[in-house]
Amino acid sequence: MLKLLSPANREVLFMGNEAIARGALEAGVNVASGYPGTPSSEIIESLATVGKERNLYVEWSTNEKVALEVAAAASFAGLRSLCAMKQNGVNVASDFLLHLASSGTRGGIVLVTCEDPGALSSVNEGDSRYFARMLEIPLLEPANFQEAKDLTRWAFELSEEIRNIVVLRSVTRMSHASGNVICGKLPVKFRKAHFVYDGSIMDPLRGHVISTPVVAKHSLQQGKLKRATVLFENSPFNDYSGPKKPELLLITSSACFLYSREAIDMLNLQKRTGILKMDCTWPLPPKLLKKHLNSTDKIMIVEEVLPFLEENLKTLAAGMGKEIGIKTFYGKMDGTLPSVGELNPDVVAAALAKIMKVKHKSLPAAYTKELQKAAALIPARELTFCPGCPHRASFWNIHNAIALDGREGFVCGDIGCYAMGALFPATGYHTTPTLHSMGSGTGLASGFAKLAAFGFDKPILTVCGDSTFYHAVIPALINAQHNRADITFIVLDNSGTAMTGFQPHPGLTVSAMGELVPSVDIAGICKAIGANVAISDPFDLDGTCKILNSFVADKGSLNVLIMRQICALSPEKKGKKIFDVKVNEALCLGESCGCNRLCTRIFRCPALIWDRSKKKAVVDEVICAGCGVCYSICPQKAIIRTEAEKK
Amino acid sequence: MVSKAGKPSSQEILKKNVLNADLCTGCGACVNLCPYQVIYHDRTVQLHRCDLDDGKCRAFCPRWEIDLDLLRSSLCDSADLTPEIGAVKDYYLSRATDPKLREIAQHGGTVTALMELALTEGVIDSAIVSAGNHQQEQRGFKAIDKVSLQKNAGSKFTVSPIVAAFNQIAAENSGNVGVVATPCQALALAKMRLKPLQDDAGHIDKLKIVIGLFCGWTLAQEKFQALLLLNNINPATITGMDIPVGKKALVIKTGSGEKIISFDHVESCIREACRYCLDSTAEFADISVGSARFGNEWEEMRGWNQMIVRTARGSKLVDLALHRGILEVRKAPDGILKELKEAAAEKKRTALENIVKKSGSVKNLLYLNNSDPLVKKFMVKIKR
Ligand SMILES: Cc1cc2nc3c(=O)[nH]c(=O)nc-3n(C[C@H](O)[C@H](O)[C@H](O)COP(=O)(O)OP(=O)(O)OC[C@H]3O[C@@H](n4cnc5c(N)ncnc54)[C@H](O)[C@@H]3O)c2cc1C
Ligand code: SF4
Ligand code: SF4
Ligand code: SF4
Ligand code: SF4
Repeated sequence: MLKLLSPANREVLFMGNEAIARGALEAGVNVASGYPGTPSSEIIESLATVGKERNLYVEWSTNEKVALEVAAAASFAGLRSLCAMKQNGVNVASDFLLHLASSGTRGGIVLVTCEDPGALSSVNEGDSRYFARMLEIPLLEPANFQEAKDLTRWAFELSEEIRNIVVLRSVTRMSHASGNVICGKLPVKFRKAHFVYDGSIMDPLRGHVISTPVVAKHSLQQGKLKRATVLFENSPFNDYSGPKKPELLLITSSACFLYSREAIDMLNLQKRTGILKMDCTWPLPPKLLKKHLNSTDKIMIVEEVLPFLEENLKTLAAGMGKEIGIKTFYGKMDGTLPSVGELNPDVVAAALAKIMKVKHKSLPAAYTKELQKAAALIPARELTFCPGCPHRASFWNIHNAIALDGREGFVCGDIGCYAMGALFPATGYHTTPTLHSMGSGTGLASGFAKLAAFGFDKPILTVCGDSTFYHAVIPALINAQHNRADITFIVLDNSGTAMTGFQPHPGLTVSAMGELVPSVDIAGICKAIGANVAISDPFDLDGTCKILNSFVADKGSLNVLIMRQICALSPEKKGKKIFDVKVNEALCLGESCGCNRLCTRIFRCPALIWDRSKKKAVVDEVICAGCGVCYSICPQKAIIRTEAEKK
Repeated sequence: MVSKAGKPSSQEILKKNVLNADLCTGCGACVNLCPYQVIYHDRTVQLHRCDLDDGKCRAFCPRWEIDLDLLRSSLCDSADLTPEIGAVKDYYLSRATDPKLREIAQHGGTVTALMELALTEGVIDSAIVSAGNHQQEQRGFKAIDKVSLQKNAGSKFTVSPIVAAFNQIAAENSGNVGVVATPCQALALAKMRLKPLQDDAGHIDKLKIVIGLFCGWTLAQEKFQALLLLNNINPATITGMDIPVGKKALVIKTGSGEKIISFDHVESCIREACRYCLDSTAEFADISVGSARFGNEWEEMRGWNQMIVRTARGSKLVDLALHRGILEVRKAPDGILKELKEAAAEKKRTALENIVKKSGSVKNLLYLNNSDPLVKKFMVKIKR
């Protein structure tokens, strides 16, 4: 049986995201939608695996805003729904979220945001908790795996209690780590959908679901928030442990609770410090906090990434100054804790040791010194594309076309595996100086192209993956066409959302739940917009470069090149080599004039290795994906490729 | 880019001193030697960075570290040397005997006739000539028979990266090679003949004959293409071009008759590098051929060439051509050689003046050496 469907009372090892999914199942979730993004993707993925058994509709939507709209429709019809995304996905969804929060919801609806402090797999470390405050909706943050499940389940109840959407926030160390969770009951009854709109406009359950009359609905919304505050005052999810009168009170949430507890244990401060774990972090329950603030004069707030809790706590404390007196707060705002990046038990312990004036047994200085020396010897390893990755070939072609054109053109980068081309300049062959949010490459390119009037005569290119195309590129592309922005737009079509693990997208014919669905043709969309469209295989270096050259040189039209080649790691391709590739050492020129290690110095497929003693290139057959592209670049034809035997 | 030894890389030297300094002739000597240097349209492009500091690209470039004195003393018979036009063993007015060949050739068809002979006699296995496309883009073309030679007869006034083709064909193991070259290209080939590098010895030995073209300048392809379009000339219909003496115009022959573009316009398309070029007669070729353009006799003389025989190799081929009756020659009228020398000297002086203007000092002659006796000779009147 599937782990996610384990019977009640069983203790199961769940990844944080699975625990969230299980919590939703226990709450009887009916609809789950999302857009893939690390560290959130496993929630929708695991729910999709039990869709049939649990009478669930699961979809990967084109973007986070649409995902939230899909989930909201279910709520309006009285069903329970969950919508999952990564931190910056909330920005995409936020316009709809603002209006949803003021129109109110019906069936329980939970927005799960999995965030990435330290940006382990993001290009930002955005903290979307501020949306809860700004849009006036409740925020929950589980602090361990059991809570990841239990709090999710409760979030649905809370949402139905106040008739508004609830945000549940996780972080990488919670979503991607695993721990034991005791399962609860799975409901046996499933809801039916009913959408009723025959009541008065202010009736939350029978009226029109709209945000007007704005002021009256706004007031209604704030009333809901007050109700949440009352529930938070007595919620068992907010929990204190430690002495009655701690010298220092740590107030913390999410994974930082685990770091804080470990730090206290490391320093043996259990008797002198206490921890207030807050799962309900917006709106803060004032009575509960007053009680704890009164127990001590020193408070340290431990959280990631921004001082959200700290700010709100200080505001609260200022308002009750007369009753609680003057406190000393330690946290991010006074520099006790770093204001950027991930925290960990060591960082918390170091801060704690300083405040409590105890010795933090960090590593001995001599050892640290040795370690630093050794670290300097380890070659700095850039991340790069996998062996056989079509993006390497694509950037090779793009680089060559730009170099040949000679006007110092450049690429506006976008989000996907191919962002590596911007993050590590040598990996993108120094073509891609900008990288922002999904779809922004095309918008930026559209803007750069209009700078010609200011003497900026460089060809502008931009890239996007197939999934990104549907997500946010289309409006920018329409903008480019309509405003006559002269750009070369390149779709790196690898047939899947490879970066986050091959979730389906609208270009494919299979849905999240494995059903056959119509695919939406990128080339057709571009043509309909009025662009000039060509399709090439990036592994065909000559052919692709020729098209690119003509596009880059062309003035006055929007040119689209779809470079199509399946990702080397895709299930269809993995392990199947097209070619067996090896180096003929007798022909290899190595570092002498005439080649100077083109393959290992510039092209840099990880499967190509420079043998220092022989002074020849060699192919690491174990990791070589057999794409054969290096054969096409070797000036000596020293790299030999032969059709691989079909296994 | 800096090499491992901390010196500027060969590529960097070319980039800074040749390409970015507008001295690149587009000869292609640095191309097809490796994956890093390529030609696009008529521009030399450095595709990726290379950090070697003693590379072939730099070694063969005709616009970097040219020692004219050394080249002359190593490659020519000192008895033949003239300061203005290099080595002269013989000087003729010549033309191909075959009138059909003269029809399709630029002037007298001397070049094509000599290359045909070298091919049929087995002196060479292929001849590198210039083939153009409708965009006026030229590429070195490997001709192995009369048909392909004749197909590519006639002058194209945009630059052709002939030496790039030589680099490629010499590496192919397809036998001995002859090359039709402009003066800068002949200079690059001469640099190779000096064998500055060990490993390339094999390639240059396949070069059996260089027929040089007289040259005043070449045109930049992209600019010229634009000029043609501006004058409503469809480049695809062009069948030939020439610069008649005394007309100050470029005559363009098209399918629908002749079009004339005034020199004032054409001048703006001249490749910048040509302004710094000292050689008008391809001094380092084995045989050099130009038009027989003198004063009022143009109409009669346009079917003839001036031909300078410079080396023993050249003499041998020309003697054979005369013996076989493939070429006919006549004695040059009095004073013609003097006129040619004067014009050649004038080009040298002008180029040196331009070089000094560019560098800002008589001490810095860019790719030339100010202690080179030949350079000194033409520097006399030039002040900073
Ligand atoms: C760019 C250029 C400038 C010239 N300037 C002068 C000048 O100022 N004064 C003068 O007297 N003569 C000049 N010539 C030479 C002249 O135009 C004739 O090429 C020469 O007289 C030989 O005539 P022919 O009938 O024997 O040539 P053909 O028998 O027609 O043969 C000409 C050969 O030159 C090759 N060729 C054509 N264009 C090029 C090119 N761009 N680069 C390399 N090879 C090419 C052809 O492929 C062919 O093999 C110039 C030639 C060129 C290409
Ligand atoms: S590109 Fe070819 S010749 Fe150059 S090092 Fe690699 S295998 Fe050898
Ligand atoms: S064939 Fe060449 S480029 Fe492709 S994976 Fe193997 S080594 Fe890399
Ligand atoms: S010719 Fe040699 S030195 Fe020059 S770029 Fe090529 S490999 Fe490098
Ligand atoms: S002059 Fe010739 S060798 Fe020198 S950089 Fe230009 S093309 Fe290369």
